[in-house]
Amino acid sequence: MIKFLFSGLIRDKHRSLIPFLVTATGVMLTVVFHAWMTGVLGNSIEFNARFSTGHVKIMTRAYAENMSQTPNDLAILGTDTLMNVLPQLFPEMLFAERIYFGGIVDIPDKNGETRAQGPAMGIGIDLLSENSPEIERLNLASSLKNGQLPVNKNEVLLSNKFAEKLELSPGDTLTLVSTTMYGEFTLHNFTLAGTVEFGNTALDRGTVIADLRDLREALNMDAAAGEILGFLKTGTYDVVQTTAVTNRFNARFLVEEDEFSLVMKNLPELNNMGFLVEYSDKIKGILVAVFIFAMSLILWNAGLLGGLRRYGEFGMRLAIGEEKSHVYLTMIIESSIIGFFGSLAGTATGLAIALYLQNQGLDLGFMMKNASIMMPSVFRAQITPATWYIGFIPGVISAQIGTMLAGMGIYKRQTSQLFKELEA
Amino acid sequence: MLSFKLALRNLLGAGLRTWLNVVVLSFSFIIIIWTKGILEGWDRQAKADMIKWEIGGGQFWHVNYDPYDPLTLDESHDRIPAGLISSVQPPVPVLITQGTIYPGGRMLSVLVKGIPPEQKILALPTAKMVSADGEIAAIIGKAMAENAKLDTGDYVTLRWRDRNGTFDARELKITGIFDTNVPTVDVGQIWIPLAELQDMMLLPDEATLIVTPENAGPGEATEEWVFRDHEFLLADIESIIRAKGSVGIIVWLILLMMAMLAVFDTQVLSIFRRQKEIGTCVALGMTRGQVVKLFTMEGALHSVLAAIVGAIYGIPLLFLQSVRGIKIPLESSDFGLAMAEKLYPVYSAALVAGTILIVMIVTTIVSYWPSRKIAKLNPTEALRGRIQ
Amino acid sequence: MKKLLLVFIITGFTPLLFGQYPDGKDILRKIDDNMISENRYYESSMIIHGRRTSLTFKLKTWTAGDTKSFTEYLFPVREKGTKMLKLDDQLWIYSPSADRIIQIAGHMLRQSVMGSDLSYEDLMEDSKLSEQYNAKVSGEEVVDGRKCWIVDLTAFVPEIAYHRKKLWVDQERNIPLQEELFAKSGTLLKRTRLSEIRRINERWYPGKILFKDMLKDGQGTELVIDEIRFNIEVPDHIFSKASLKK
Repeated sequence: MIKFLFSGLIRDKHRSLIPFLVTATGVMLTVVFHAWMTGVLGNSIEFNARFSTGHVKIMTRAYAENMSQTPNDLAILGTDTLMNVLPQLFPEMLFAERIYFGGIVDIPDKNGETRAQGPAMGIGIDLLSENSPEIERLNLASSLKNGQLPVNKNEVLLSNKFAEKLELSPGDTLTLVSTTMYGEFTLHNFTLAGTVEFGNTALDRGTVIADLRDLREALNMDAAAGEILGFLKTGTYDVVQTTAVTNRFNARFLVEEDEFSLVMKNLPELNNMGFLVEYSDKIKGILVAVFIFAMSLILWNAGLLGGLRRYGEFGMRLAIGEEKSHVYLTMIIESSIIGFFGSLAGTATGLAIALYLQNQGLDLGFMMKNASIMMPSVFRAQITPATWYIGFIPGVISAQIGTMLAGMGIYKRQTSQLFKELEA
Repeated sequence: MLSFKLALRNLLGAGLRTWLNVVVLSFSFIIIIWTKGILEGWDRQAKADMIKWEIGGGQFWHVNYDPYDPLTLDESHDRIPAGLISSVQPPVPVLITQGTIYPGGRMLSVLVKGIPPEQKILALPTAKMVSADGEIAAIIGKAMAENAKLDTGDYVTLRWRDRNGTFDARELKITGIFDTNVPTVDVGQIWIPLAELQDMMLLPDEATLIVTPENAGPGEATEEWVFRDHEFLLADIESIIRAKGSVGIIVWLILLMMAMLAVFDTQVLSIFRRQKEIGTCVALGMTRGQVVKLFTMEGALHSVLAAIVGAIYGIPLLFLQSVRGIKIPLESSDFGLAMAEKLYPVYSAALVAGTILIVMIVTTIVSYWPSRKIAKLNPTEALRGRIQ
Repeated sequence: MKKLLLVFIITGFTPLLFGQYPDGKDILRKIDDNMISENRYYESSMIIHGRRTSLTFKLKTWTAGDTKSFTEYLFPVREKGTKMLKLDDQLWIYSPSADRIIQIAGHMLRQSVMGSDLSYEDLMEDSKLSEQYNAKVSGEEVVDGRKCWIVDLTAFVPEIAYHRKKLWVDQERNIPLQEELFAKSGTLLKRTRLSEIRRINERWYPGKILFKDMLKDGQGTELVIDEIRFNIEVPDHIFSKASLKK
């Protein structure tokens, strides 16, 4: 019978094509909506991750305890070997060493004596490697205000307001006054390559961005880094994956008795981010649920109308002796077939679009011209396991309910009446 | 005009089918507005939280106060002036100094903030700053508590330097831990009664900043005190919201396509179903253009009816939500503080009007598209009801 | 380095009257009389115990009166040639690797020196004890097997880091063997132990001083005096910014 109905559907395009297209489009929209919401609502989380927490963060246990003070004397040692091992152990992650430090930026006059100085917060990243992912991660290229990105040794970026306050222009010399990881006093000269604007007062006030290699020299941190941040290769935070990674890492590296053993922390455990993660998730849940409800209604309506318009045909079928229940059954099987294949097609196209939006992202920079903020302008969707099945809820179930509801009329009305509708 | 009347009559004549479509389309309206309202409300919440926890109706800052350079705190305090603002509710002075706490043998630099326990402007649970046995009662935020590993009832030594630079140290008792989304009242800081801090610092009646009550209006600046309004204090959040706005547009587009789908489906069906009618119209002398216009009008009228229907149930529904808020259930709540997180959707007039207008335009376009097919119909065939 | 000298340089102590505590203020005056030498030169090692490693610095220091001092780092190699000049309450630091002279601003002086238990200010505090503190002898105690007077100091000037101090002064050799620094509330903040007392010229000197921040965990900071000379020829140009770069 199913084969029979199948051929019926394929031959009568009006009975199949439009409902199929409508179902597929509805499902496609649901899938894209889910992936986009998942990706985008995590944007603030992502911003934090890129700047400070990573999706996961590796530190020594002692450093983790005093993380707010970025105690580089408790930094991770031997990062050179570690950075070779990590990608093999966790192929789903990208790792980046970071050194966060505090100090004073001191500007010399022509005699090499202090002309101006100001307190600074610093981030050491891989600035100088070719194609360093860190430059994109911190959105440095598009945040550049003056000058250029560092290309040579000992070139740094300063936040624009800080540079203005110190009356510094690209090419000028500045001295970083800080302490090494062993606590020694250190002075290190840098050249200002360019200035960046973050759109965040705290960062704009006094930030230095320097290359890891230069900082290691300045802070006597050979093969050491305060923190190693891990980012999922998908580019967006996912609690299931990072939890698995964190558990695996800590089972292998964490030693309770050794305060300098390595520990990995998951993003919700860092910077009070747990709240944001959960809150975003809940809001996404509510929005997606309501969207699915609305989409269900639309597809339900489509199913209902599709059923209603065929009353004439049913009248005819009943008149020639078909059982009511059989008509009803064929109708439901038909709509199941359409719902299933429509959902399949919709999910496939939706996933394809979502995958594109996840990998390529959407650069909305053109809409953010007036927002001087270092937030990445490329927004990405995120596909989660739910993205795969979520479209089937409105696609199969609700269209089905619509058809079932329409089919009830078969029982309620008289054959003659249904037959009359053929004329209508 | 004729086609308008005809379209309306056709629509109303179709009864149940029309109303089903209208209700579904009205749902799309409401959901577009609602979703945008939630996103907007979420953005606003960050501002609302900051107002509630930290800035009130704006702050007077001592002229030397710089929240990003704690080393300047030594020079940024003065006697609290009288009559800075005229409001029934007294403003809340806050004195800030640097200190060091030693939780469990560790050393943590903190900002010590003195605030009157009886204050009512900020959401900080300052009333909990009561101590029985002479120690200084202190409240801290959850993040600070986690970082310092302190819990309610714990004691911790605070060391500070008074106005003369003399070291002093006292035991603090943590009498309350609060849960806030505003890190600037939480991370790295300890709140104690203002009078205690003034006493400890040898700075009687002095403050670093003064929080004004909401709706007190802009304050008058003096030589010593600068008024920082919402625009200044919320600038960072505003720029984040602006950046996030573009994301909402994509969401809005997806929702719009959903509405389109609803209209498109009905429109295609109705043209298919009503071929005979189309044939009749053409046979009666209507030009094809007129028929296309009639069908387009019918589709567009759907959205007008949907807007009306949507308004009937949507306005009270959305209004109620924006006032009562939507409860966001959160599982994790540490320190036994139940978080009753409520989100208040924000609907702007521009959002509502814009959505209605665009949905109407889009509906019209989407209605027109399948109607074009009519132009290709052969009237005699159509009249016979032949499927083409 | 001044403060260290202030603490331990005691000579010519007043002979004691048996059965009666000596006048505390008198003790302070004598400490002051004896600590101020025209100038001095010393070589020292500072050992900072971190959580992970200990770090040793070797320094040589010239001082004149109670307002001028000049220090040069000899070790570790990374720091070699770093010089610090202090004139009154101003501090300049020169680093040969950066070839820069940096002025350390007032509020920076309160930060700890190289992760040690001492702030720059601690190192630079050099006023006379008798001009800042009233003192009273409150008892006797044996420290490191030596009989000591316990001297309680209370500040009478307001602008001072430690309102109260307690010294254990060796009765025979007239040198504090232990010093405790208190907050105004009475909380013990820091403890200094002086040991390996040696005789140099007419003075008794500690060979080793241990500073400990009592509120935090850790082993404290050690200072070992390798060599010290008094009243030697110190050319005045040493205490100038020009000498930083030499």
